[in-house]
Amino acid sequence: MVDLDNCIERLYNGTLLSEGEISQICILVQELLAEEPNVVHISAPVTVIGDVHGQFFDLLEIFQIGGKCPDTNYLFLGDYVDRGQHSVETISLLICLKLRYPQRMQLLRGNHESRNITKTYGFYAECMHKYGNAGVWRDFTNVFDFLTLSVMINDSIFCVHGGLSPSILLVDQLKVLDRFDEIPHEGALADLLWSDPDADIKTFNRSQRGAGFTFGSDVVERFLHVNGLSHILRAHQLCMEGYLVLFNDRLSTVWSAPNYCYRCGNVASLLNVDPYLQRDFITFDAAPDSTAIANQPTPTPDNMYFL
Amino acid sequence: MSIDSAPPAAPGPSPGPHYDFQDAQSGDLGALAAIADAMKSDNLTDRLESLKRLGILALAMGEERTRDELIPFLDESIDDEDELLLALAELLGDFVQYVGGPKYAYVLLRPLENLAAAEETVVREKATESINKLVEVMDQLHVEEYLIPCIARLSSGEWFTSRSSAAGLYASAYGKVTDAIQSKLRAGYEALCKDDMPMIRRAAASNLESLVKKIEKDHVISFAIPNFRLLADDDQDSVRLLTVEPLVAITKRLTTDECKQYLGESVQKLCVDKSWRVRYMVADHFIAIATNIKDQELQEELLSVAISLMHDSEAEVRGAICTQLDGLADLATPEAIVARLQAPLQELVDDPSQHVRATLAKHIGSLCSVFGKEGTLEHLLPLLLRLLKDSFPDVRLNIISKLDVVDSVVGIDSLSQSLLPAIVELAEDKQWRVRLAIIEYVPLIASQLGVQFFDEQLSNLCMSWLGDPVYSIREAATANLKKLTEVFGVDWARATIIPKILAMATHPNYLYRMTTIFAITTIAPSVTPDIVRDLILPSLEGLVNDQIPNIRFNVAKSLEPLTAVLRKSPETTSLESSIIRPTLARLEEDPDPDVRYFAHRSLMAIDSPAA
Repeated sequence: MVDLDNCIERLYNGTLLSEGEISQICILVQELLAEEPNVVHISAPVTVIGDVHGQFFDLLEIFQIGGKCPDTNYLFLGDYVDRGQHSVETISLLICLKLRYPQRMQLLRGNHESRNITKTYGFYAECMHKYGNAGVWRDFTNVFDFLTLSVMINDSIFCVHGGLSPSILLVDQLKVLDRFDEIPHEGALADLLWSDPDADIKTFNRSQRGAGFTFGSDVVERFLHVNGLSHILRAHQLCMEGYLVLFNDRLSTVWSAPNYCYRCGNVASLLNVDPYLQRDFITFDAAPDSTAIANQPTPTPDNMYFL
Repeated sequence: MSIDSAPPAAPGPSPGPHYDFQDAQSGDLGALAAIADAMKSDNLTDRLESLKRLGILALAMGEERTRDELIPFLDESIDDEDELLLALAELLGDFVQYVGGPKYAYVLLRPLENLAAAEETVVREKATESINKLVEVMDQLHVEEYLIPCIARLSSGEWFTSRSSAAGLYASAYGKVTDAIQSKLRAGYEALCKDDMPMIRRAAASNLESLVKKIEKDHVISFAIPNFRLLADDDQDSVRLLTVEPLVAITKRLTTDECKQYLGESVQKLCVDKSWRVRYMVADHFIAIATNIKDQELQEELLSVAISLMHDSEAEVRGAICTQLDGLADLATPEAIVARLQAPLQELVDDPSQHVRATLAKHIGSLCSVFGKEGTLEHLLPLLLRLLKDSFPDVRLNIISKLDVVDSVVGIDSLSQSLLPAIVELAEDKQWRVRLAIIEYVPLIASQLGVQFFDEQLSNLCMSWLGDPVYSIREAATANLKKLTEVFGVDWARATIIPKILAMATHPNYLYRMTTIFAITTIAPSVTPDIVRDLILPSLEGLVNDQIPNIRFNVAKSLEPLTAVLRKSPETTSLESSIIRPTLARLEEDPDPDVRYFAHRSLMAIDSPAA
């Protein structure tokens, strides 16, 4: 039996877990996640985190600012891996925390929690580099199939990685989707993880990303009204100021990877939702250790995946 | 816990036979042959592994065979892999025990001499180090018979590699030979100082310091000083800069007059050297140089030199002289120092390089005692204040860390009037790490400036940190309160901070309620049992039923240290069974699994015999 507290402590120190430990942990967390519905209902207070993308030191910074798990409740909106140099440490820690404190840690699936995407954007390569074989990558990507799609805070705030889908008007429609598979190229599941809001439109348009849609104010209004909700929280898009609030305070994007790819120079944010559903953003800069990585002069194979 | 995982794949192209060295200790000849074979293996890992076991092999072979067979074998099979050569060089320095003790140490010189001529610098350096180790245990006769010819061979070697290693061997040999040979050694060293290659002259310069420490006084004057001067005038700045440390060693051997007579001119030349790297070395060693020169006229000149280094065109040099500020005080009367340093210090506060300003901030406090109270108030305090507002965080922090030095000179009132607004500004800095650093200094400031000052000026600030949006600040703020309790005492805590902490227990924002619990838990060990009984427990009782599970499980956690405090007094120890245990038992039935877990854990901890 794996000693989770010990694993977590080692991960906080940046030590990698062994292949055997990861394999056991992934099996256990899969069992846990399999029980979660496509829409998980939680109560505030909770601290909501956007894309992290393998920026492990910035993840530690998040815990320093937002508080440690389990004292603080966390909801991560997906995109834990790819692009940063420490995707393995990042996803290992989050999965261990989820396993140890399932009530205090919620993890959504992002569009990067996918076999195809991680083969292109760095997670696969990092696993090969750090473990010498693809076993760990396989274990993690199997877990990704089980991550839930959305969270509802106090039956009022709807949280998803990307955005809305033309196929989904009622939240109940989400509940019947079969999510336990690789992200499809199109359809409701793909839309939820790939769509973006567009303040200049009213309905759905084609997305330049090649998956999902862009959606506008009428769509948002209708979705909130029909489902009796007050707000939508999502991530998926870089925000230079760390967050962006749209549609007259009906939708917020949270972005939690500061100085994205070690060069975008953006600020990141975390969002505190209090028991009365008051929303409060705290912005933060890259951690000093992340800044050290950014200052490295020559690109290594590890950081090739920014292109 | 152990998990099976696949062994790492072996590096190198050819797998080769796997050498099992386990039997070597038994002297099994087959295994010894295996080690010897492994040393010839194509595989670098095998060769390295067998090298590490050489001690075992030597033990098995016995001292005589080790001397007669193993050492020559090592000497002949000089490898071309640097990693191996380095390992061998290190190993040989510790091999005296295997060859029969100090009287046979000389046999190790042959292979080491070859290694001292190796291409790779680290190998040569390690070989030299090992030879010097051996010399320590060798007796005079052996040094003269074996080491001296070795040094001679290396010194006249065709390649620069051997000559540069030779320079490192003179000092250790010098102490163990006759006068006649010492004279030859000095001649040999002088030749190295005059060598064509800068690399050799650099080696001669850097090793001159250790040689100076060994030679007799009159030879310091007749041999060391002329050679020092030669190297200090070298056309390569890389050679000149290495003469600063020998210079310091020389000053220690001379009287003040001798220093003035023989070194005055050289010192001045080095101080104004056209290469900034040389000037940097001078600046960095300034106090060491000046200390031994007690002549007033020279010292005044040195002070002028120091001031000119503060204006140096190169930031590194200006930074280096800043590290020597407190030594400068010895160079003149306090009045002279105050008069002459005012202007340069002002300029340094505005230096364009943040590193220089940070270094200045670190060391400027040491001038306070020289300037005296009036001088500090008039001249230094304004500078300190400006540094406290510097845009670079390290500058600000370096000043804060030296406040006690300033306080000891000017006293609390002056300090608080001037410094406090600056501290408050830092305490509200946008960068949370700057705020964090200020918090960490508060106990120090508080202990220096006293309880009244704290209550009037800093107390509100400390409480406001408990409500900072950043968790790490709140955490540091609670640790801060504990330290303050230790500084000012339990009665003070009871009267001033505990009521304020407990008031937060009913705050509508759950983060504040959480901070209350953290604060209570942190302070508990520092307060008395009656405080726990009368003030803390009643507050916690409200929180036990808090709506939010995170609050409830932190209450459960806090009951453990609180119980430890209650147990200290017979009056309060009964509360354990009347209040603590029932509360934890209730929490063990809580609907939330984490609450149940922490309640159970606290109960286990309270029950355990160690508690």
